[in-house]
Amino acid sequence: MNRTGTFSIVAAAAVAVWVLPGAALAAEADYHHVHLTTSNATEATKWYTEYLDCQPLTDRDDGVDCFGTEVVFESRATLGSSQRTGIDHISFSYADLTAKMEELASVGVRGSGVRLQRFDDGSTLRDAPGLFKYGFIFDPWGTRIELVEDSDTLGFHHIHLSSTDPAATLQWYQERFGGEPAQLRGQLDGLRMGDVWLLVMRHAEGVPAATAGRAIDHIAFAVPSMGPAVGELKGANVEFLEQPGVPEGGRTSAQRAIVYGPDQVSVEVVEAGFAGVASTMEGVTDITTELRDYTAPRTPWGTPDFQGVWTGDAADGIPMERADDVGNAAILTPEQAAARRERGTLGSIWGYEAEWRDTTLGYVKSAPSRQVSMVVDPPDGRIPPMTAEGERLAAEERAARLPLPEGPEHLSSWVRCITRSLVPTPGVYNNGFQIMQGPNHVAMQVEMLHETRVIPTDGSPFVGSDIASWRGDARGHWDGDTLVVEIRNFNGKAPFQGSSDALTMTERYTRTGPDTLEYRFTIDDPKVFTRPWTGMFTYVRDEAQYELVEYACHEGNYGMTNILSGSRAKEAEASR
Amino acid sequence: MKKRYSQLLASAASLFVLSLVTAGSASAQGAVPRAFDGHPDLNGVWQTIGTANWDLQDHPAAAGPVDTGAIGAIPPGQGVVVGNTIPYKPEALAQKQKNFENRWTDDPEIKCFMPGVPRATYLPHPFRIIQGDKKIMMVYGFAEANRTVHMDKANPERAPIDSWMGRSHGKWDGDTLVVDAEGFNGQSWFDRAGNYASYALQVQERYTPMGPNVIMYEATMTDPNTFTEPWTIRMPLYRRLDENAQVLEFKCVEYSEDLLYGHLRKVPTR
Repeated sequence: MNRTGTFSIVAAAAVAVWVLPGAALAAEADYHHVHLTTSNATEATKWYTEYLDCQPLTDRDDGVDCFGTEVVFESRATLGSSQRTGIDHISFSYADLTAKMEELASVGVRGSGVRLQRFDDGSTLRDAPGLFKYGFIFDPWGTRIELVEDSDTLGFHHIHLSSTDPAATLQWYQERFGGEPAQLRGQLDGLRMGDVWLLVMRHAEGVPAATAGRAIDHIAFAVPSMGPAVGELKGANVEFLEQPGVPEGGRTSAQRAIVYGPDQVSVEVVEAGFAGVASTMEGVTDITTELRDYTAPRTPWGTPDFQGVWTGDAADGIPMERADDVGNAAILTPEQAAARRERGTLGSIWGYEAEWRDTTLGYVKSAPSRQVSMVVDPPDGRIPPMTAEGERLAAEERAARLPLPEGPEHLSSWVRCITRSLVPTPGVYNNGFQIMQGPNHVAMQVEMLHETRVIPTDGSPFVGSDIASWRGDARGHWDGDTLVVEIRNFNGKAPFQGSSDALTMTERYTRTGPDTLEYRFTIDDPKVFTRPWTGMFTYVRDEAQYELVEYACHEGNYGMTNILSGSRAKEAEASR
Repeated sequence: MKKRYSQLLASAASLFVLSLVTAGSASAQGAVPRAFDGHPDLNGVWQTIGTANWDLQDHPAAAGPVDTGAIGAIPPGQGVVVGNTIPYKPEALAQKQKNFENRWTDDPEIKCFMPGVPRATYLPHPFRIIQGDKKIMMVYGFAEANRTVHMDKANPERAPIDSWMGRSHGKWDGDTLVVDAEGFNGQSWFDRAGNYASYALQVQERYTPMGPNVIMYEATMTDPNTFTEPWTIRMPLYRRLDENAQVLEFKCVEYSEDLLYGHLRKVPTR
């Protein structure tokens, strides 16, 4: 096999596949790499090394060498899985696929695990008569990967395109980039490019989705020099997504161009010596932990002006309490903060496709906060011990938990779409927070569950203590540039970290910069905690790209129906 | 003064009431409070009085949904629809009748769903208007519904997605706050009688202060999918003058759960 070109797949949030030499081009073009999009190239490198037996590149940190084929990772937001795009999947071949699949199945899906794609009957492997055994998995970023048992070609096996016209597509690639028309095991038409097969299947329904931004972003072919290759592509009226040139951040002076192949597949053509593009993510810094001397602007009626759209995205990943593995560090390094965010992303990725997740690295403009823990008082970052009564209530709550909910009231207030949390701790999506002010009131709208707290700042008294509610009764006043909000009258049905109906919560909002709003909350619940404690995180202003959407939760709570009907089905099953 | 007073009396029965109250309200009921920028100051807790939420149109007294004696009975009411007729297309009228027949299970209100516009205004719950320098927010006392009225967007932006409460843009027309709302999901009803519209609904609301404590509220509904022509409702909003009046948290979800999920309980209640 001609390994003069490096084959690479970029898997950061999108995958790109570089292809082999084309015909006229092909005489010398070489399949170069597959380019994947992931949220974190470092994690992707680890994953492909650990589970698919690839080797880290020796000269760069954003890719792996998979048996001679380069898989390159690009750290940016992914627009979703490769499945049903024009580059449906890539494939690896193992001598004993049953053993390999067992090994991967044992990894599990937690964190940066392995997601198996099961067939309708629940199995993970099938045997295609005359062909070989095969099965599918996904990497944590949505790249679909076929595993095959083809003793003729072990290691990186093929790139599988999906097309509305497979024959024409094969011809297009052959004319541009060469390769040898052949049949895999006499059954599948394809192009042989060195050791790697380029296969094309007929797209099942409709047209394939464009690959740009998806988990497999593109495939790439290397050419000896750009000039003649570009002339030939232009002569064939190929559409250019990116004109030839040295890309911004290019590691060498070698040029590249990106063109549309059939079915909106992005095809990168790179010149000999091309070594990828350096990540631009380093340019985003964490503004939530910067210290500034800042005076908030004023409303026309003279109070500090907090109005606008903010998000908690930067704070996603800050644990409530100091984690064991950060020692006494006052603040994390940017790398530690990025790694912490990535762990959170991967922990949630199996339940939510990328399109759902707002806080994937590189997707939001705010870098992950370097803050160590939300709890800042006590200074050790730990919630203080509970009182004896608090312990008793917690034990009572644990004992009351049922293996299967008997009705809605056995599920959390969040699952029930009643209220989520007294502290809107950021999660992977819908962290929007809008503040609107009038002369005597501040309205704070939390996007998730669309809860709006109206805080009178006119000195009006609290409502009577018999009027208990889920989120309590709030009154605010200005302390210099800080809005201080005291909240009481909780009904205790939605405890925060074990709090009770004796809770008094005090919030302090302070603008610490043009785009930062510090939020502090103090939990004072003498029934449950031995002392009051305080946590904080910082909102980041995001007027330009963020608009709160209506989080109509209860109105579409299919989860509730499914959880309860599933519980009833399990009970029926058990009593059979 | 005398002339203005007689105008106001005449207006009480007149369809032209709005154009007249603009001129006559201040002297009749006291000055309209002014915000920092000179516009009427609508800040406060407001509520309608009446039976519009039972039925926007004229309706006689009727039995209620459950056996709770006279407490559950439906009081009679004079309609708030100008001309009392809602100009449904024939197929839409049939759907309205169907809604009416299934109202004790299908009304979004009974399920604690967000009420949509304009129904949020005349639900039997107070709501607060918070008026600032950039936006006006309306926070309703039912189902955590709320609206942000964008006063600061010169070119109204289309709703990014359809929703229960839609997207609202506001502007001042003299002393009248005019709010254009659209981008609805077509699942809301206008009342407990099953009046409804489709996702194509566009609502133009007019909030005209008639003094410090009354706003004349008018909403015009346009929806070619459902109606043959636009139609209008009109009713006053009254300021809640009760001491320390607040819009209290009323999370109605838990009171709808038996209706929605009772059949899925371990011990079914429905």
